[in-house]
Amino acid sequence: MENIRNFCIVAHIDHGKSTIADMLLEVTHTVSEREAKAQLLDDMDLERERGITIKSHAIKMFYKHKDNKTYNFNLIDTPGHVDFSYEVSRSLAACEGALLVVDAAQGVEAQTISNVYLAIEAGLEIIPVINKIDLPSARVDVVTNQIVDLIGCDETDIILASAKARLGFDEILTAIVERIPSPKGDANLPLQALIFDSVFDSFRGAIAYVRIVNGVLKVKDQIKFFRNRNVYLAEEIGVLGLRKEKRTELSTGDVGYVIASIKDVHETKVGDTITHSKNGAEKPLPGYKEIKPMVYSGLYPTDSDEYEDLRDAIEKLQLNDASLVFTPETSAALGFGFRCGFLGMLHMEIIQERLEREYDQSIVTTLPNVEYYAYKKNGEKVVVDNPADLPPVGDLEKVEEPYIKAQIVVPSEYLGNIMKLAMDKRGIYKNTTYIDPTRADIEYEFPLSEIIFDFYDKLKSTTRGYASFDYDYIGYRESDLVKLDIMLNGEPVDALSVIVHKDKAYDWGRKVCSKLKDLIPRQMFEIAVQAAIGNKIISRTNIKALRKNVLAKCYGGDITRKRKLLEKQKEGKKRMKQVGNVEIPQEAFLAVLQLDE
Amino acid sequence: MKNTAIYIHIPFCDHKCIYCDFYSLINYDNLKEYLDALKREIIYYADRYSKDRIIDTIFFGGGTPSFMTPNYIGEIISTINKNFILSNYAEITLETNPGTVEITKLKDFRNAGVNRISIGIQTFDEDELKFLTRIHNKKTAIDTVNNSFDAGFENISIDLIFSLPNQTKETWEENLEIAAGLPIKHISAYSLILEKGTILNKMVLDGKVKMAEENHDAELYEITMKYLIGNGFNQYEISNFAHPGFECKHNQYYWEYKDYLGFGTAAHSFVNGVRWWNYSSLKKYIHEINLNQIAIRGKENLTKDEMFEEFVMLGLRSKGINLDEINKYSSAWYFEKKKIINSFIEQRYLVEKNNYLSCTQKGYMICDEIINNLL
Repeated sequence: MENIRNFCIVAHIDHGKSTIADMLLEVTHTVSEREAKAQLLDDMDLERERGITIKSHAIKMFYKHKDNKTYNFNLIDTPGHVDFSYEVSRSLAACEGALLVVDAAQGVEAQTISNVYLAIEAGLEIIPVINKIDLPSARVDVVTNQIVDLIGCDETDIILASAKARLGFDEILTAIVERIPSPKGDANLPLQALIFDSVFDSFRGAIAYVRIVNGVLKVKDQIKFFRNRNVYLAEEIGVLGLRKEKRTELSTGDVGYVIASIKDVHETKVGDTITHSKNGAEKPLPGYKEIKPMVYSGLYPTDSDEYEDLRDAIEKLQLNDASLVFTPETSAALGFGFRCGFLGMLHMEIIQERLEREYDQSIVTTLPNVEYYAYKKNGEKVVVDNPADLPPVGDLEKVEEPYIKAQIVVPSEYLGNIMKLAMDKRGIYKNTTYIDPTRADIEYEFPLSEIIFDFYDKLKSTTRGYASFDYDYIGYRESDLVKLDIMLNGEPVDALSVIVHKDKAYDWGRKVCSKLKDLIPRQMFEIAVQAAIGNKIISRTNIKALRKNVLAKCYGGDITRKRKLLEKQKEGKKRMKQVGNVEIPQEAFLAVLQLDE
Repeated sequence: MKNTAIYIHIPFCDHKCIYCDFYSLINYDNLKEYLDALKREIIYYADRYSKDRIIDTIFFGGGTPSFMTPNYIGEIISTINKNFILSNYAEITLETNPGTVEITKLKDFRNAGVNRISIGIQTFDEDELKFLTRIHNKKTAIDTVNNSFDAGFENISIDLIFSLPNQTKETWEENLEIAAGLPIKHISAYSLILEKGTILNKMVLDGKVKMAEENHDAELYEITMKYLIGNGFNQYEISNFAHPGFECKHNQYYWEYKDYLGFGTAAHSFVNGVRWWNYSSLKKYIHEINLNQIAIRGKENLTKDEMFEEFVMLGLRSKGINLDEINKYSSAWYFEKKKIINSFIEQRYLVEKNNYLSCTQKGYMICDEIINNLL
């Protein structure tokens, strides 16, 4: 056990986490250069494209140190996005140390700060590494000071490295051996294995990735999951090299996998503890949390005939994504579909993209929203995850919405822009600290609803891409919220209803009406587009009746082309959604996502 | 015997107009080779289709067919005459551009067998003509009509285009008035179409030119229908108006879903529910004909559903859907759509008369929308 080192890498996006990981695999001869695909640990297509790690994985390496002992390294990869912060915390809990990687040109960013705090809270030994020191724009001195300020280490503790130029790897390996403690724990105690990740394999079922905290797990042991007390036979256990390597036992301190014919990943929830069904541990490891979705959106098939296909696809996705929740719902405008809950916006985008790419589904998504708590005058509390379900104004005592604490790191010349943006997003200023003389770390509180869909883009554009941003959920607060409905010829379009702050309702209503006017094609009759709060119309515009729609020429050579066009239009018409007698193109439902453009 | 139409494509032009997307060439190489190829193609199809058919119309389209010598056109007509049964009453149309024909040449065309002239005037307004990059001016346009009449043509048609960029109501009305004062029997009045691959399309994409707004376009179309119908013309298709008895026979073959054979580059044929079309490239066409006697680029065997769609579309665009004939393609259609048909009749978009379901003027304005609803 004293030769085991369990660690992870903490870094902001693009600061070189993956290249450092690849280099470690190479210098320990875990993979040959030929095998090392770029960013080896990210094995989902989507991850590779976005350059982010969505799901954590782990890999074992052997390193022969200058003391002539061979050490067993387990590198546990962590997701790099705030949507997956719970998974990050569980990965950290499986480690004793962390490499803190900071880009020599970019310096400390918001994500660096928040993840470092998580690592410090988890009690990890932190080894700071400045990466990309060979870049012409590297500012090693500045970044060194930032790191010293951030974690209070000594300048000499910081390792200067470049994954590209292969600089600093001896120092990193030595630091892992000498500075990260070996796992504590007791092999004689009852088994406690922490699940820090799980994946779904269509042949083997759910596979749990675990860190043995206490005790020993042997193959064919009867095991039990604390959360639901279900018992399984550990059919196969092993460690995670480049591929899975079978073992007959995993002991305290080890990182490995467990296969036990588990039908889906809902049994193997991240943070849960595995023990033996007989003579097991009395208590699970601390820190398990049922993770709740933060963002909701309606997912509907483009073609209503494909409802069942969409259900199959979502169910399949759910097999390997325990954080995706969904319930069937019906919309007068969009027909049958599903209300889905996501961990955040990135998670939502990933699910949408996977449904479209991997499952070939064509879907319409409604504007994402958070979960509101509505308190009625009769004392009843209603949890609202679909704006259409908000009780009528007359019945409402108050409405609460979730708030977050945001950390924004930005060069100080953009402070004014940040203030403006924050005001626009109902931000509450908390604090500013300076990371170095030119860069500020600003703390704000925001309603989550204000940042879930265009905040990040706006932040980036108002700071020319220099700002970085991270956030933490802090709880529910009362707000002056109203439900805004959109009506076409007097018929409400439920899928376009939003819950919005009262001060923003007029602006929102006006923008949606004008956007719809552009997007709904003229029809054979005039269409009134209205925005309303309760019975009060706050905005109105008209789409004039169609006056002319006819192709001027249709001779011998045009007929085939014209027929194909008609068939295409007919297909398009089938995809239109109908409210009353008005036909609405799908884009109209998506357009509310880009109201400012 | 089955009546059949023949279309001949003449791809040669003096230059390319900004709105034109027809296959046309601005050099006159291969004129002789093209004529030989056309003759071989005509003979090839005559061997297969001439026995039980009477050729009822011939239409020379382009390009600019009037650029050819009367002998050139005459040779094609006589090749058809020799190899097919050509009706004595056949309508033989030549598309003619103002500025390409003197009165003697017009007379020679007439002697070669042409009996209908379709003149591509587009507009009488000098600025608009310049914009369209036409080679003629107002005077040549009017002269060409009068010369055609003097050369003995009784059946004269002109093409006009409305909704040109910046065109006002007044300039368009003036165009219609000049046209109505000329010795013509037929007008094709088209709203300007922005076709891909045209110079105009590029100008619009570059923001140099703005196409007319829907409301303005609609207003000009309304004026057109009203004015021409008030001046002795019948509207028998979206864009076509004629004195009684002078409807273009040839075009009605397209719209009434009758058979036609097309010869030359890019020409389309439709026989017994099969449609095919030739290569567009002149060189490729000549090469293929020399090799195989045919130059088919593409072909489609129309399904019953496709024929039904085309029949409904073409009918509504012209004289109406023949409610007996529609049963050939779909027996249930009328009853399935009865409710919406009735609502369109009630709103005066459609009329049902003499077993035809046709568009009113109001219906023609949004014909594509109506077709979409009825398919």
